[in-house]
Amino acid sequence: MYLVEKVRTGFLGVAHFHADSYAQSLKTIPQAELVGVFDRDKGLAHEFSQKFSVPTYDDMEKLLKICDAVVITSENALHHEYAVKAAEEGKHILCEKPMTTTLRDADELVGLVEKKRIVFQMCYVMRYHTVTSLARDLVVGGRIGRLLVMVGTNKLNRSLPLLRAWFTDKSLSGGGAVMDHTVHLSDLMRWISSAEVVEVYTEIGRNANPKLQVEDSFLTTVVMGDGSIGHIDGSWTYSSGHYTWGDVTLELLGSEGVLQVDAFRQNVYFISSEKPDDRLVWHYYGCNPDLLLVKDFIQCILGGGKPRANVYDGRQGVAVTLASYQSSMEGRPVRPG
Amino acid sequence: MIGVAVLGYGFMGTTHLAAWKMMEGCSVLGLWGRNRAKLEEAASRYGVEPITELDNILKNDKIEVVDICTPTYTHVELAVRALEAGKHVLVEKPMALNLGEADRMIRAARKNGRKLMVAHVLRFFPEYMRVKELVDGGHLGEITSLRAWRGGPAPEWSPWFMDLEKSGGVAVDLAIHDVDYAIWVNGGLPSRVYAKIVNLVHKEYRVHDFALITLRFPTGSIAVIEANWALPKTYPFTMKLEIDGSKGVVQLDNQTPIPLKMWTGDKVEGFAPETLPWKPGVHPFPLDPFYREIRHFVECIIQDRKPITDGEEARKSLATCLAAVESSEKGAPVTVGG
Ligand SMILES: NC(=O)c1ccc[n+]([C@@H]2O[C@H](COP(=O)([O-])OP(=O)(O)OC[C@H]3O[C@@H](n4cnc5c(N)ncnc54)[C@H](OP(=O)(O)O)[C@@H]3O)[C@@H](O)[C@H]2O)c1
Repeated sequence: MYLVEKVRTGFLGVAHFHADSYAQSLKTIPQAELVGVFDRDKGLAHEFSQKFSVPTYDDMEKLLKICDAVVITSENALHHEYAVKAAEEGKHILCEKPMTTTLRDADELVGLVEKKRIVFQMCYVMRYHTVTSLARDLVVGGRIGRLLVMVGTNKLNRSLPLLRAWFTDKSLSGGGAVMDHTVHLSDLMRWISSAEVVEVYTEIGRNANPKLQVEDSFLTTVVMGDGSIGHIDGSWTYSSGHYTWGDVTLELLGSEGVLQVDAFRQNVYFISSEKPDDRLVWHYYGCNPDLLLVKDFIQCILGGGKPRANVYDGRQGVAVTLASYQSSMEGRPVRPG
Repeated sequence: MIGVAVLGYGFMGTTHLAAWKMMEGCSVLGLWGRNRAKLEEAASRYGVEPITELDNILKNDKIEVVDICTPTYTHVELAVRALEAGKHVLVEKPMALNLGEADRMIRAARKNGRKLMVAHVLRFFPEYMRVKELVDGGHLGEITSLRAWRGGPAPEWSPWFMDLEKSGGVAVDLAIHDVDYAIWVNGGLPSRVYAKIVNLVHKEYRVHDFALITLRFPTGSIAVIEANWALPKTYPFTMKLEIDGSKGVVQLDNQTPIPLKMWTGDKVEGFAPETLPWKPGVHPFPLDPFYREIRHFVECIIQDRKPITDGEEARKSLATCLAAVESSEKGAPVTVGG
């Protein structure tokens, strides 16, 4: 085990909004240092560099040379290329979901990460949210008996994917709402039940926003390896006037009880009296899972721990997502690859 | 004056009776059940005549309407007999347990020129009516998806519910409320159904207590309906609805807007005036959904109109729920039809 005082961390791609939140979190961690940002879009890199007082690098290789670890928050389709480069250089990786957009890429990454013995952590942030973690502890502790059903929503305000063009450009995102919002719930279900998803059935509906190239509305039924049933609604169909960004809810039904999670429910209501803001908005005061996620990443690097969600969990998320598309296309339940 | 007989005096029978008692221009001339002692007790509570002999109802020309609130497996025979005897029939949902039975009822109504209405009361709940108005008014644009949730402890108050052969289980008995509603707001039958319908916790009974039904409509609009009898006894009966459309979203939840709560000892009770039986002079507005539902039926008889959930319309939700059960058994999506 080598010792560093500070984990020198660089950003490979900041096209995803979450980059800002992770950077803010890193800034509050004494054992971490933000050392540079690369993005193929120089404008984005510049904006990020101004916001977080960090130098930009036009050349990813150069940035990699001065880093111990990288955060990959690029467009989905570039995750694989960036992660492979970083892993080849032996850098630790914190990777935004979905890990990759093809299963082949996912498997390649699993192999490479195992070979290089780096810390690879998926940004499955719901494993760090205190409410979903508590729910898991209660289930694992047997409080609702045997877990039988998990029904979740992870819906998004439809205006958000429009803020960055790549979200709705299939060549960069890999797809729409299914690609974006299957994995948080499928991963929570795997994490809570300790079972794999063995069957996926998805209905992709007509779009709420017909102008999009990608789908924004879907419903997925899953079966887990232990026979329990799950359901995922990750549609981007909340109204653009929705008081908050979206939700993560989860109903866990057991043989002895039921548990219901509404993870981002802790908000105070605010109504401005001034136009145009004179509508109800919510100010969230619940836990900050992004901070806990980034802290864990840094601690795993320094202390040799294991991240809550690793490269294999990333791969499984990709498998469920792709099975979902296949099911919708073929009109039948599909077993994830 | 329209003469009415109510068959059954259980949970629904007494609910309907309370509404009939307030109905202008109507008079309950008989209450039917098999168990004389219990029947008499209920009849005296509502000030109506107990009748154990069904023929005394069917042959009584003063009785124009028969309201069937008996267990589901008895609906078809009672409804067909009443229609054949020239009565208008209001029958609790689900109308029957299979499409053959439903068709017999529909044919009997047609042949005898009598009204047949299935009591899909959700269409008369003020919040669900308001949502339908918003949809029809174009406020949501094109509907893209619907999420409905309905559940509470299993209805173990009556043993027949917990027998698949008699109640149809949670999909046919409970999910049918939201399936009917989804059909209503989407303008017709779904084209494809996929479902997981299981016995989760009530292993001592042969019954489905949990249903998760996904629907796809010909327009490409989708829906998921969860119906749940697998909840603890302390769980309040809850219904939730969310509809997304190209122009907006509506959400409702009967546990949130409770305008009146009462704590007494170890119990907390919530009341919404709209869903309480209306008592003249006590509750200011006749908003009780059962009252509205029955009022609609009475108006259809007086004005010779088609009830909103006549046999044909109610057959759609039954067909969909049966397709859901079939999908769950096959583990594959099923097309609705037939
Ligand atoms: N709209 C809604 O929200 C709603 C809610 C609950 C139920 N329902 C529906 O309403 C119907 C009645 O349900 P419920 O809860 O009122 O039932 P319940 O409480 O068990 O009452 C059944 C009544 O039917 C009589 N009955 C006649 N023939 C019977 C037979 N062969 N077996 C058992 N009872 C018989 C019973 O009296 P005797 O034993 O004296 O004959 C009793 O008065 C069902 O179709 C149910 O699905 C609708």
